[in-house]
Amino acid sequence: MTGPIELRIPNERPYHGVVRLVVGGLAARHDLSYEMLEDLQLALVTVLESDTYTAGAEVVVELEVSDGAIALCVGPLHGDTVREELGSADGDALGLGRLLGTLVEDARVETRDDGEWLRLAKQVRGVKPARAANA
Amino acid sequence: MPEEKNDKELLRRYHERGDTEARERLIEQYLPLVRSLARRYSYRGEQLEDLVQVGCIGLIKAIDRFDIDRGVELTTYATPNIIGEIKRHFRDKGWSIRVPRGLQELNVRLSHLLEELTVQLERSPTIPELAKAAGVDEEDVLEALESGQAYATLSLSAPGGGDDDSDLDPLESLGTLEHEYEVSEDRAVLAPGLAALDERERRILHLRFFEGLTQSQIAQQIGISQMHVSRLIRRSLEKMRDEIVTEEEPRRASESRR
Repeated sequence: MTGPIELRIPNERPYHGVVRLVVGGLAARHDLSYEMLEDLQLALVTVLESDTYTAGAEVVVELEVSDGAIALCVGPLHGDTVREELGSADGDALGLGRLLGTLVEDARVETRDDGEWLRLAKQVRGVKPARAANA
Repeated sequence: MPEEKNDKELLRRYHERGDTEARERLIEQYLPLVRSLARRYSYRGEQLEDLVQVGCIGLIKAIDRFDIDRGVELTTYATPNIIGEIKRHFRDKGWSIRVPRGLQELNVRLSHLLEELTVQLERSPTIPELAKAAGVDEEDVLEALESGQAYATLSLSAPGGGDDDSDLDPLESLGTLEHEYEVSEDRAVLAPGLAALDERERRILHLRFFEGLTQSQIAQQIGISQMHVSRLIRRSLEKMRDEIVTEEEPRRASESRR
């Protein structure tokens, strides 16, 4: 892939389905398992569905496959909430940090010119070949 | 058989003399049949008791429409009526928004294929593998999976437990590990929003996010399908978010008044 796929959507629930479908399409083309796809979609929707995390009524989601991983970037973010929550991933609470820490391999906040963005990455591991019975 | 004779007698009393007490006795007598049929469908995301209620409607219709002169047994006549009512319930009320029948059916088929392929491949299948097994395009699989988001797991908000029937479906019972779990998940209960969840939902979130089990491992442990685990996780997180918002709303409002 040459560059990221960029989706600019109103941050409303019906549009989250559009993003989920695009993530699914990308995952299908990179042999991501159903469970990994589910994790990625859930991680993304968890961020999108809380207006605490994103700034404004419009949100941008970038999808990219590079370095053996599918990466989703969401932004711009609202204040320091996401950064703070990511920092408390090991706590007892089932907050954003713990959720993302379980669902994706890498969740981090990046600084860009227009503010902070959340980057979620999941490794695209080589899928074990199907056994002879399935061949 | 004396029971059959008893059935005929009760049916005659109800149909010929309008004896509603006879009708009620018939309903009671056939409740185990309804329960047994409802259990077959309870893996689809609804509580057994809800399906028993739906199945009872089918039983009552069968009793009301039964023709005592046709020479068939009530069991033979009632069974398809009960199953039909349960299937209609899933078809008409199980989906919160209008989803084309084809997609609903593919979603159900994918749920089964997901289980089969996970066992066969010893890992979670990919979308192309699911598409191949279902004989459809990858886009159809994605669309059907997405349509599953619209599936209304109507009973998910019902509190867990409360059914003292010893012959519970695996879906209904959390088994003997329940007490052990109650102790181990204490810390998770402290998290905001978790109070809104029932015991099964809390257990699933605990297994996924504190024990690190995968969806398929949880499905195996609890005895429900992977897709059902996925729905329960999503729904539980939604409920938690709603609860947190509800809790925070009065505080925010009072802060803004200051």
